[in-house]
Amino acid sequence: MAKRVLNVEDDPDIRTFVSTVLEENGYTPIMAKDGEEGIKKVREEKPDLIILDILMPKQSGIKMYHDLKTDDSLKSIPVVMLSGVSRRTFLRSQAALTEFGDETVPEPQAYLEKPVEPEDLAETLKKILG
Amino acid sequence: MKINTMLFVSEFEELWFDALQSLMGLRKCGLNHVVFLHVIKREKVAMRRGTGFLKQEEVKLKEIADIRFIDWAETLFEEGMEVGAHIAIGNVLPKIISVSEIENVDLIVTARIERGKFEELYAGSEISELLRRTSKPVLVYNYLSQSSKAGDDPFERLLLALDWSVSSERVLDLVLALSGATKRVEIVHVLSEKEVGKLSKMEAHKLERENKKRLDDVCDIFVKERIDARPHLYIGQTEEQIKKAATEHKSSMIVLGTRKKSIWKEKWVGSIAHSLAENSELPVLIIPAEGS
Repeated sequence: MAKRVLNVEDDPDIRTFVSTVLEENGYTPIMAKDGEEGIKKVREEKPDLIILDILMPKQSGIKMYHDLKTDDSLKSIPVVMLSGVSRRTFLRSQAALTEFGDETVPEPQAYLEKPVEPEDLAETLKKILG
Repeated sequence: MKINTMLFVSEFEELWFDALQSLMGLRKCGLNHVVFLHVIKREKVAMRRGTGFLKQEEVKLKEIADIRFIDWAETLFEEGMEVGAHIAIGNVLPKIISVSEIENVDLIVTARIERGKFEELYAGSEISELLRRTSKPVLVYNYLSQSSKAGDDPFERLLLALDWSVSSERVLDLVLALSGATKRVEIVHVLSEKEVGKLSKMEAHKLERENKKRLDDVCDIFVKERIDARPHLYIGQTEEQIKKAATEHKSSMIVLGTRKKSIWKEKWVGSIAHSLAENSELPVLIIPAEGS
């Protein structure tokens, strides 16, 4: 059975790009357009991996990542960050959330900065999902 | 009333990151979420004869806005804040209204929005229309026209103009919610010269006493919250006197409410809040009447 990958991304062009890469590499894409919808889809669909953008309406990827990794039932799902926001900022923001009293969270399985080449994305997914 | 989420509307020509940073004093009052909105005017990418819809132009403008917002967001994310962004094409006003509702924001921050002269003549200004169509507090941030630096904290010295209308209570609630960011509040009520002129000397004194008492009562509320507050009674034309008071007391922002009026009455009679938002050099925080 094809592995299911949830892509949380507000830009429709990037959603189409990611969806194409996923299908071409034998994965089943699931789409969400912001963090709020993303977390809902994670609970409903229990995907095998999440590709997560950061700067989005309603709920950012920073908050969604933190919520995922502090939820016992969801924390084992691997996450690949795909964003224009730098990895350094992402790590600092997670540290800042920890500083404000929240639980410490592990780093994501991979961090890809936009724009990403289709081969790099496919290879990253293959490494994690096999 | 609370301010946890702020909508920051930027055309990138008037409100820059330093304007946003100057509002970070609001973090002391609970601000933890900033939503950016940039609206690309339709005419910039609209269908043209011979070229059709300018898709490439749309992609380019969206990309530019995205790069700017990412840069701004990185600073806020690193401070542990939540940040969201909307980049849209269309008319600014409907987008402000819809995003403010989708994101359930507590405060809208915008600069003056330019409209064509003809459009302004029949439809009024965008700010007036925004104030009519939202019940959320709106901060019209005219910081570039100020002589002060953009880095100054606009919430530090407030001029609170009260007209004792129903909306005054909402205004008071909001200003009290800002207490963490505020050092001093000048509380001003303006008596109309015309109104006072009709009264006998005794009646005028009575009116003065009544209003001073009300101002003192409001001051006491702030003093309880450990905010330095001073009462001031002015006489004259309301808008002029508010501006005068703000200058005299070196205020960093004017705060006032609006009264609920019909669109036609407002268009022809005008509104002090709308006029101040359009003309004041200081930032103006307007709390629309409930049910706007």
